[in-house]
Amino acid sequence: MGIITVDKSDHLFWLGRYTERVYTTLKYYFESADKMIDANPECYDEFCRKVGILNVYGTSENFLRTYPFDENDPNSIISNLNRAYDNAIVMRDYIGTETMAYIQLAIDDIHNADRGVATIADLMLAIDHILAFWGCVNDMIDNEQIRNIIKLGKGLERLDLYLSLDLPDSDIIREYRRMKQFLAKSKLRYDESVINTVDSMISDSKLNHGNIKNLLRNLITE
Amino acid sequence: MKELINSTETINRLLARYGVKFGIYKNGEFKEQLFPFDPIPRIIQNSEFQFLEKGLKQRVNALNCFLSDIYGDKQIVRDGVIPAEFIYSAKGFLPPCDGVMPPKNIYSHISGIDLVQSKDDSWYILEDNLRVPSGASYPMIARELQRRSAPDAFSCNSVIDNRNYAELLKEVMDYVNTGGINVILSPGRYNAAFFEHSYLAEKTGAVLTTGKEIVCENDRLYYIDYQGKKQRVGAVYRRISDEYLDPMTFCEESVIGIPHIFEAYKKGNVALLNAPGNGVADDKGIYYFVPKMIRYYLGEDAVLMNAPTYLPYYDDDMKYVLDNFDSLVIKDVAEAGGYGVVFGSSLTAEKKEEFINLLKSEPRRFIAQEVIDFYDLDILDTDGTLVPRKADLRAFVLAGGETKVWPSGLTRFSRNPDSFIVNSSQGGGFKDTWVLSR
Repeated sequence: MGIITVDKSDHLFWLGRYTERVYTTLKYYFESADKMIDANPECYDEFCRKVGILNVYGTSENFLRTYPFDENDPNSIISNLNRAYDNAIVMRDYIGTETMAYIQLAIDDIHNADRGVATIADLMLAIDHILAFWGCVNDMIDNEQIRNIIKLGKGLERLDLYLSLDLPDSDIIREYRRMKQFLAKSKLRYDESVINTVDSMISDSKLNHGNIKNLLRNLITE
Repeated sequence: MKELINSTETINRLLARYGVKFGIYKNGEFKEQLFPFDPIPRIIQNSEFQFLEKGLKQRVNALNCFLSDIYGDKQIVRDGVIPAEFIYSAKGFLPPCDGVMPPKNIYSHISGIDLVQSKDDSWYILEDNLRVPSGASYPMIARELQRRSAPDAFSCNSVIDNRNYAELLKEVMDYVNTGGINVILSPGRYNAAFFEHSYLAEKTGAVLTTGKEIVCENDRLYYIDYQGKKQRVGAVYRRISDEYLDPMTFCEESVIGIPHIFEAYKKGNVALLNAPGNGVADDKGIYYFVPKMIRYYLGEDAVLMNAPTYLPYYDDDMKYVLDNFDSLVIKDVAEAGGYGVVFGSSLTAEKKEEFINLLKSEPRRFIAQEVIDFYDLDILDTDGTLVPRKADLRAFVLAGGETKVWPSGLTRFSRNPDSFIVNSSQGGGFKDTWVLSR
């Protein structure tokens, strides 16, 4: 199982990206839902703006009710998880049936939460299964390069979201350094000038999140 | 059996967890659905399996001899055993394969032979599938999961382990491999049997691929990695049909095949499992002649019987078919998957007349068979009761260094009490098949 074609590396990379997108947006969704209880009922607007999706929800109730579950909305959590599944299913021979099962279980969790009464508590199971998926990636995929491509996708997506969410610079720097390790190990082609520029920006006292985000979007060249 | 029934919910949950699904197109839209599984297995006693094994090996060996002959000297036609018309008018006969000998002279490496058991316990062959028979992965994974959900059912019964299918398959791929890696060529994610393609790739260690990842250079196949490095391919277990395999030789509109793969195969530089052109041997019209083939090539009587079959092509058979139309099932030889099957008794007078006219104008297109009263197998109904349903058995025969029968098989059943059609594409479900070791 030592050969990774362009298509396969692409699927592995996006598998990492989509699972991370689901994981981080779910965590941010929980945080926002908490604020909507009594602190700031309108904060779903901020959520949409930061995550970069159109606010088509109208009310906080509608946002909470539809954002995780609407399969017709390409930005919803379930749609992103379905994309992760689409990338996983064609890589069964590389990542294994056992690893893939955790994506399926996370999808089932979201469907079950949609039908249940304790939406947020039920959605936490999806987080558990995504964490189990990553555990499985570490534990059950022998090929280091396969692991590194998945983790590079995950790292880049996390960085992109953290930058969008304006998380503290210390978090951004930590995730950037982590991502760089996987970049080198993944052996994917990338634009070195992007890394050089971001490296120099990292030493600034205050990071320019927007600039870094735009630069990183052009990092991978294939 | 009680334990198996009690664990129904668990096993279904596990099958869903591992994505044991098949794809189906409905109103032009692709949908994946779980393959309905019944927890009660079909049980085959060891002595009965030995009988089936003998008959199945014999049949597949004869069919391989037939394919070698038909794409070679055509002695069986010259000797008048099979009329030439049946060969050359068969949709599965591919002129480009004429004179091409596959590696190790094996054509049908993986054969799916469909059988039914009648109420008098006799087994009949319903059809041979020598192109891309699917289904082995389902009982394979179901066994794995059922052993977890109902372990006592296995410790109390002496069931031969069927989880060696991938090993048998790998053995065959390695045997015919011409040097290089083994790959499984799939049409892609939206194929009905994609679960099987990906699962078998995982279990055999072969690389799952679509046509666009493989190139043919100097009549050799190469798999190209993302850094542009090439790796030779020695065996392709292709899960796409002949017409889409190579746009340079077959259907030129194919976008899922590999250009020039047929040239590489022709020159002996890659093994294709199964060989292109096998469709001539699993044509429903040729089925009639298989017992004659067994006698012709092996000098033996067929161990396993065909269902009583008539060829309207022959005048005597046409007369019989017309006289007994209502008691027969008529099959269009060009159709598969349970389509093109007409039960004479089900037609209105008007439809019957229309059909008979078609039969008379295109006699080579149809075969007629006596309706075999299948042995019903119990399945667990949604309300928890046991109900009898029609079921068949797809046995898998693997031909490499030697011909082996997998000690299991896919038992398919109809979920509709009034139907004989067991195909998954038409709503059927599946059971595991237990072969007892004593």
